[in-house]
Amino acid sequence: MVKKKTVMKYFVKAIWVFNWFNSCGFTELVPVVGSRWDMERFGMITVNSPRKADVLFIAGFQTPKSMKRAQKIYEQMPDPKFVLALGSCPITGGMYWDSYNTVKKLEDYLPVTMYIPGCPPRPEAVFDAVFKIVQHVHGMPDE
Amino acid sequence: MSVVEKEKNNYKEEKIVTALSKKLNKKVNIQRKKRLWVSIEPKEIVDACSIAYDMGFEHLSTISVTDWIEKNNFEIAYHLWSYKEKMLLTIKARINRENPTISSVTSLWSKNAELCERECHEFYGVIFKGNINLTPLMLEDWDGPPPFRKDFDWRKYVQQEYYNESNPREDNYFEVKK
Repeated sequence: MVKKKTVMKYFVKAIWVFNWFNSCGFTELVPVVGSRWDMERFGMITVNSPRKADVLFIAGFQTPKSMKRAQKIYEQMPDPKFVLALGSCPITGGMYWDSYNTVKKLEDYLPVTMYIPGCPPRPEAVFDAVFKIVQHVHGMPDE
Repeated sequence: MSVVEKEKNNYKEEKIVTALSKKLNKKVNIQRKKRLWVSIEPKEIVDACSIAYDMGFEHLSTISVTDWIEKNNFEIAYHLWSYKEKMLLTIKARINRENPTISSVTSLWSKNAELCERECHEFYGVIFKGNINLTPLMLEDWDGPPPFRKDFDWRKYVQQEYYNESNPREDNYFEVKK
């Protein structure tokens, strides 16, 4: 039988990311992709189809309309799949906490693996979150 | 700026205003340079728009609605741009707040007007007679009142829909109203 740890070790060697960004989400996360904090050093690349993706990045405020699309994307991703929510908007609604049409808690709609707080989160925080996943996989028991 | 120059600058506007006032049978105001305003009756809207269209105001920039809650009416403004004269004409009509119905201008600006009218319908509840597609644009699955109306208490709506006062994590959201 294939061990879970063996599979996950291959998984964390190349984390392929699909982005679902609303409002300022994309512009704030561009430094992560850019040359200074270059996420490709760690084998992370953004892919053009959810069918190739391992991790779904969600940033910016989400509305019920955009959540429907995000759920469709999540369903298309192959297992094992993870959702990382970036910024304060998916956590509490952020500065849109009293807006009539924004999602206040992302976990009501999608199974969130990890929240990364900040408005916007620093690129270091994003990498820290990814390292936590890697450490978790290396610390898995051999079963 | 001398008087002569001023007259020279206003000359183009004056010419159009005279022609428009004659055709619409309404007073057209020069708000400032290149900006014209005219108020009309809501039932005349399609006629007025087609007259303006024939005079060169071919581009419908947007349709906007203002909620005048004290006067109990909505002011609908059609912003028309003329490529020929480089001028913006705003046609304004006031409709009753209780029965907000106005004729659609999709016969003139088919898809463009349809989108603008859908937005106005969604946020203010204005019904555009003749527009066959008034489906929600941004608010999918919305069951509350039209949110941009002045009498819509959005903070109360949010507290009812999203937050629970008995939850200690969320009770501080309820202190804002006091």
